[in-house]
Amino acid sequence: MTFQIRTPAARLPRIAHLVDDTTPGGVSRYLAFIAADTGMAALGTHRIVPVPRSRPASVSVEADIIVSHLTITWRGLPGLMALRARHAGTPLIHVEHSYCEGFVAANVRARRRFLTLLRAGYALFDRVAAVSAEQAGWMDRHGLVAPGVLSVVPPSVDFAPFRAVDAAADPARTFALIGRLDRQKGFDVAIAAFRAVEGPDLRLKIFGEGPEGAALRALAAGDARITFEGHAPAPNAAYAAADVVLMPSRWEPFGLVAREALVAGRRLVVSATDGLRGPLGPGATRVAGLSVGQWSEAIAGLAQSHSVATSDTDTDTGGGAGAEPEVATRDGWAVLLAGLWQSAPVPSDMLPVDVLPA
Amino acid sequence: MPQASIIVPAYNAAGTIGVTLRSLCAQTHADFEIVVVDDGATDRTAAVVRGIGDRRIRLVQQPNRGLAGARNSGIAAARGEFIGFCDADDLWRPAKLARHVEHLTAAPEVGLSYSGSELIDEVGRPLGLAQKPRLSGVTAAHLFRRNPVGNGSAPVMRRAALDAIAWRPAGESLRDWWFDESFRQSEDVECWLRLMLTTDWEVAGIPGLLTRYRIAGGGLSAGTARQYESWERMVAKLTPVAPAFFARNTPAARAYQLRYLARRAVSAGDGRRALALSARAMAASRRPLAEEPVKTLATLAASAVVAVTGGLPRFAQATHRPKGA
Repeated sequence: MTFQIRTPAARLPRIAHLVDDTTPGGVSRYLAFIAADTGMAALGTHRIVPVPRSRPASVSVEADIIVSHLTITWRGLPGLMALRARHAGTPLIHVEHSYCEGFVAANVRARRRFLTLLRAGYALFDRVAAVSAEQAGWMDRHGLVAPGVLSVVPPSVDFAPFRAVDAAADPARTFALIGRLDRQKGFDVAIAAFRAVEGPDLRLKIFGEGPEGAALRALAAGDARITFEGHAPAPNAAYAAADVVLMPSRWEPFGLVAREALVAGRRLVVSATDGLRGPLGPGATRVAGLSVGQWSEAIAGLAQSHSVATSDTDTDTGGGAGAEPEVATRDGWAVLLAGLWQSAPVPSDMLPVDVLPA
Repeated sequence: MPQASIIVPAYNAAGTIGVTLRSLCAQTHADFEIVVVDDGATDRTAAVVRGIGDRRIRLVQQPNRGLAGARNSGIAAARGEFIGFCDADDLWRPAKLARHVEHLTAAPEVGLSYSGSELIDEVGRPLGLAQKPRLSGVTAAHLFRRNPVGNGSAPVMRRAALDAIAWRPAGESLRDWWFDESFRQSEDVECWLRLMLTTDWEVAGIPGLLTRYRIAGGGLSAGTARQYESWERMVAKLTPVAPAFFARNTPAARAYQLRYLARRAVSAGDGRRALALSARAMAASRRPLAEEPVKTLATLAASAVVAVTGGLPRFAQATHRPKGA
């Protein structure tokens, strides 16, 4: 008697990454990394598939594994159910780019209802990938995902241009805010804090555009040291132009800018929220709250004193966790896919109950 | 490892802490410890604590750091999964800890569980007054305006929720802070509000007047200015965390805070200050008048009466001087 077994070694899985937001930003650059990185190519054949947000199943997808990078919403839930139904035998992975504890604290009034949405959404997937251990801890605390479904895969981008950036000045003269001008990023706090720090040769450069642009310009008005630079011509240009990167984020599931800053050898000041609470490396300082006084103190401290030399400064200026972020990304995907690709060839009528749609 | 810890911050509390500790030792819940933090007391506080002779009591002694600093040292020393607070002159009803542990166990999303309080006088007699706060559906806006948690001897918190708001300020080498020790007043509402604005732990109450909260007599209305100052400092500190929330809620919350201080000035017999505070409350927002017309008008009337006659009958003295002030 012979069995026909399709082994994982026979070929790499075809992996379709569904995305509804193709504007340039963290998710797009992460997907570009996935598509181009040789380490990721060793794990599967990746294809980026733009889909409409509410009807992801309307696009025809030929794949062994489907990864959703979509944002879960009530309006989008029927579309995800359709996706699940259309690909009943295909392992589905959801990467949670949007939500985290700080997001809920800052934005959600009907918290139980919102967590119900997430539970319902995540239940449609065979695996849910958190972008940070802190986000995973939050999901676990609220029982948002079934046991064995959750894993942590920190995102990466092509970090090579950031490694090529020249060394920063020390003590710091130029501070940067990098990212979308959105309430989430807390740039209002940094502007107010910077204004309170004396030093005619200090600069605060703000890279990015967004809905808070006008309000932030009004906050900065009258302090000629603060300039709005718009989008940086290249992702690494903003870091090259600054000595310190400030991240007073109100929520941040992962915090890509923090990793880019450390890889670029920039010192970094972050708020203690979500994905920024974990270990970042010796170049990073964490400010506990968002009070203007605390941030002024941190800025003044970096402007006045040379960075503290630690015993491993000479070997690892980029900082422990920040030095090779791609490794954690590839490892995370390897673990995640290994569990799914081995079980993927099982015919759909033999799938265990818990991977079928609820 | 005890399941729960009750933290008792104590500063010169020799006169009351014995009764407090006996009420805690009488808890029906089986598995707990009591951490008394002697915050640099210069009286016999420590001797009284040792004299109780209950092995569940641990005494931590430190140079004076204030109420927030004493609570923080208590949290640092506590080993329980659930952490309650009881000031050194308040009392817990015997079932209080058991009820909160039950609540927190059944509702894993709740980080802070509280109950109402019965008010007692200096010798422990009921004043016939109670704090009966809203118990469910508590949002950050409720907490900011009306502080349903009520007083520092009402809450039992989950350790995990406390640790979500812990931080280590520059210059602090001993342990983390949970309460902000730069505050001498408003430190508890600052802590609860920070919990609600920066984490998704819920705040919820259970029925019953499980705390017996002692009203210190002879409040000085001069303290109201300082207390208002620290309340405004709290608002200034937390506003950057959630600017839109504070823009929406601060006027009404400020009116409630000023009305509360006006009632305290009434209790202290300072009618002129009470009237001034009432007027400022009305100027800040009419929300208290719309939401609680009787209490708001009564405050105005009482302020006027005291301003004219210099006193109120005792039954009307429903407000109090916060302890540790």
